[in-house]
Amino acid sequence: MADKQLVAEETWWIELDSPDIARASEPGQFVMVGFGCGNTGAPLLPRPFSVAWRSDAGRVGLLVREFGSGTARLARLHLGEEVLLLGPLGRPFQFGPDEPVICVAGGVGLAPFLFLVGQARRAGLDVSLLYGERDASRVFDPALIESLCGTEAEIWTEDGGAGNAGRVLEGLTPAVDTTVLGCGPTPMLHALFQFTREHDMPLQVSVEEHMGCGVGTCQGCVVRAADGSWRKSCTEGPVFNAADLDWGR
Amino acid sequence: MAGSVLAQTVFGLRFQGPVLLASGTCGYGEEYAGLIPLDDLGGLVTKAVSLEPRPGNPTHRIAETPGGMINAIGLANVGLARFRAEKLPWLRDHLQRAQVLVNVVGDSVDDFAAVVAGLEGEEGVAGYEINVSCPNVKGGTLYGTDEQALAGLVARLRQETERPLIVKLTPNVPDIGLYARVCEQEGADGLSAINTFPGMLIDVERRRPVIGNVSGGVSGPSILPMGVYLTWKAAAAVSIPIIGVGGIRSAADALQYILAGADLIQIGTALFIDPAVAADVTRGIEEFVLRQPEPDLAALVGSLQIPSA
Repeated sequence: MADKQLVAEETWWIELDSPDIARASEPGQFVMVGFGCGNTGAPLLPRPFSVAWRSDAGRVGLLVREFGSGTARLARLHLGEEVLLLGPLGRPFQFGPDEPVICVAGGVGLAPFLFLVGQARRAGLDVSLLYGERDASRVFDPALIESLCGTEAEIWTEDGGAGNAGRVLEGLTPAVDTTVLGCGPTPMLHALFQFTREHDMPLQVSVEEHMGCGVGTCQGCVVRAADGSWRKSCTEGPVFNAADLDWGR
Repeated sequence: MAGSVLAQTVFGLRFQGPVLLASGTCGYGEEYAGLIPLDDLGGLVTKAVSLEPRPGNPTHRIAETPGGMINAIGLANVGLARFRAEKLPWLRDHLQRAQVLVNVVGDSVDDFAAVVAGLEGEEGVAGYEINVSCPNVKGGTLYGTDEQALAGLVARLRQETERPLIVKLTPNVPDIGLYARVCEQEGADGLSAINTFPGMLIDVERRRPVIGNVSGGVSGPSILPMGVYLTWKAAAAVSIPIIGVGGIRSAADALQYILAGADLIQIGTALFIDPAVAADVTRGIEEFVLRQPEPDLAALVGSLQIPSA
């Protein structure tokens, strides 16, 4: 671990030195972060995190909010300590260079979009970012977002303590031919699916399910597809076309 | 990689090393191809193969437990036909030195027999691991917990194949030796001890089971002492070889099984923690063997010494 900063309540920005993964990562992909077989404490299993940033110097950035044993352990990690990284894994977000794109992030669902928007804006693409949190204490430093993304995020908080008051979806206006990318809590993704379906906008979402291996062997992390089959979020996702998923449950 | 001190012939098959990957944790091999030098291992046991494809259980399918994990995947698998057409050719092409055991599951004796019969003509299958011990599907442990049903199943499968027939035992019986002896008497070539322990986790805030299937199988380091004990009990009951499995994540863990009587071992959950673990364990066992006055893995099997009181 090369750097760690507290960027919001219980939320850490962590930079890891991992040149191979930094070089190969694409926005929407993830890494499994673990502590190896010699680790006797929790967590036992590695945890998936979206790649939130990468640098030419070989660093990989992660956005980590303390929630369970895995994220708590990462939050306590000291500079110079090592973790076991497996990645980059999974299917990234995919869109054409001429498509306008709106990214909708809820909570730490912001992570893949810090990477995506930064990369897209440097390439001169028309990509914007809506970012919602429950309250102001949890909002990732807007100046840091701007420096990573090359543009400001439109921020929404439910209590109005930062940015606009309300849910992030209120910031989304119907726009035909605009691709929407979503990452965040399941209720937000559901609402996003309804909205984009009503307004005929293509939607890709990054999903989260308990994960074991991260490489497609254990079939633990499946999500239900529209055709009733199960899809592995590690190798067939984590980014799916929303129309391919079953939103009925 | 595995030195000759680790090479053994077990069930009539040559294993270049004692470490195999456990069923359900290594898919059909292909998934780990870029990460693990699979052909350097002793072998791998495929994800269960049933006659028809199975979709598996609702989510969550897995969760971490203290010192382990609980899973209820539900034997999700591609079924015999696709295994033969899509998965086996890859294994045949990529594994020449590592032995491939196919884990077989069924709802009835005829089901099990049909899968074995359907693979008999296929090259690249070194033997079968018969799964009578899955806690995550209805009836999954039926054959593993009923002596007569087990005897009937093993006897029937013995008629279907001359290839090594290994029965994966459930730990969820009062006397594992009894079931081990039934398998031996009916002609099984070996045993895998053990499958997962049934368990459950509850999300107290939501008052719901964490696992979609309600209960699941517990694996990982927390079950190591039970696995070692049951391997020791099974080894005392039979003379056929045993594959020790349950909670292994280091060479020291693996050696406990070997001293308790296991000829080979399998690694499962630890693969998720670090895919390099199988090579590390192999190397560690080799170093241990080379330190012995008689540097031969076979001489260590079952060599546990219990001081007299």
